[in-house]
Amino acid sequence: MIEDKPVNRRDFLGIATWAIGGLISLGLAIPAVAYVLGPALQGNKSQNWIRLSSTSKVEIGTPTLFKAKVERKTGWITSEEEIAAFVLTENGRDFIAMSNICTHLGCRVRWLNDRQQFLSPCHNGVFDKQGAVVSGPPPRPLDRYEVKVEDDQLYILGG
Amino acid sequence: MGAQLGNWLDERLGWRRVWEAIFLRKIPKVNWLYTLGSATLFVALLQIVTGILLTIYYVPTPDHAYDSVQYITTQVPAGWLIRGLHHWGASAMVALTGLHMVRVILYGAYKYPREVTWFTGVFLLLVVTAFGFTGYLLPWDQKAYWATTVGTRIAGVAPVVGEGILRIMRGGEELTAITLARFFGVHVWVLPAALLLLIIVHMYLVIRIGISAVPKSEE
Repeated sequence: MIEDKPVNRRDFLGIATWAIGGLISLGLAIPAVAYVLGPALQGNKSQNWIRLSSTSKVEIGTPTLFKAKVERKTGWITSEEEIAAFVLTENGRDFIAMSNICTHLGCRVRWLNDRQQFLSPCHNGVFDKQGAVVSGPPPRPLDRYEVKVEDDQLYILGG
Repeated sequence: MGAQLGNWLDERLGWRRVWEAIFLRKIPKVNWLYTLGSATLFVALLQIVTGILLTIYYVPTPDHAYDSVQYITTQVPAGWLIRGLHHWGASAMVALTGLHMVRVILYGAYKYPREVTWFTGVFLLLVVTAFGFTGYLLPWDQKAYWATTVGTRIAGVAPVVGEGILRIMRGGEELTAITLARFFGVHVWVLPAALLLLIIVHMYLVIRIGISAVPKSEE
C-alpha cells in the first residue's frame, strides 16, 4: 500500500521537520539528563587513611575519643571537617575504631564511664563498649572504621 | 489508537483549530529571510532550557559564582556543552534579533496594520540586550567584573539622572555582592517574564494579522 503512494512534497517536509526537530530535542535532552544526574551518580567520595593519634595515647579498656581534621570536597567547595572516633583496645595491640554518630538519627554519642556504655542523648539510644545496641531505637551497632597501625601510629579509613 | 486519542482530546480542547491557526496558516510566497524570526524564537527556547539547567549549579554570590561556573564547565557531565550553548546562544540571540529587525525594516513590514507587532519587537530587542548585559556579569571573572564596571559607568554619565541610575544598577556606590545578586535576579526572573509576555503578544499578532509579502517595485 505504502509503496504505490508517492510521498508528496508537503508530507515529506512535514516528516522532515518532525525528524530534525526530534533529533535536535534528543541532542539536547540526553546531555541535559547527564548534566542533571551527574553528581548524583558519582561514586562515594574517595577514602583516605587518616592519622588519629599514636597508639600509646589509647587507654587500655576504655573507649577514647579522638578527633582528626579532614579536607572534604563537595562540588566546588573545599572545607575542613572534623571526624571523631572512639578507639577501644583491650590489649594495646588490637584496636577497634567506632564512629561517635548514633545510628538512629545521627546524634553524637558519649561514653559514660560509670555505666560502661555509650549514650545517645537524643532518644536514649544505648550501646555497649563494643558498640552493640543495648536499648533504645538505634537500628544497628555503631559504625566501625577500618583501622591500621603503622610505626605506632593509628590510622582509620575515612573521608 | 493515536487518532482516537487525538479526537477525544480535540472534542474537549479544540486543539486542532489552534494547531491549524499556528502551523497551517496561509502565508504569501516569501524567501529565506522570513525564517529569521523563527530562528530567533528557536534560540530563545534554547536559552530558556540551557539557562534553567545552569541555575541547577550556579550560585550568584561573589565567593561561589566563579567557582560554581568552573565546576559546571569542568566537572559536571555535559556542563561545558550546556554553558557553551548558553554562551554562544546569547550572541546568536542578539545577532538574529538584529537581522530579523533589518529584514522588517527593509521590507517595510512594520507598517499598517503591523505597528504593534513592531513595537513589541522593539521592546523584545531591548529585553534581549538587557539579557546580554546582566548575563555578562554572572561568571564573575575579570572580564565580567570590568565590563559591568564600565557598562554601569556609561549609564552613570547621563546628565542629572545618571548618578542615580548607576547607584540603582549597582545597588550602591561600588560593584559588590548586591550587584551580582540583583543582576542574577533580573536575568532569571524579571527579563524572562518580560520576554515571554512580549513573545506571546508578538506571536499572537503575527498569527492574527499574517505576515507581509515581499514588496514589489511596480506596486
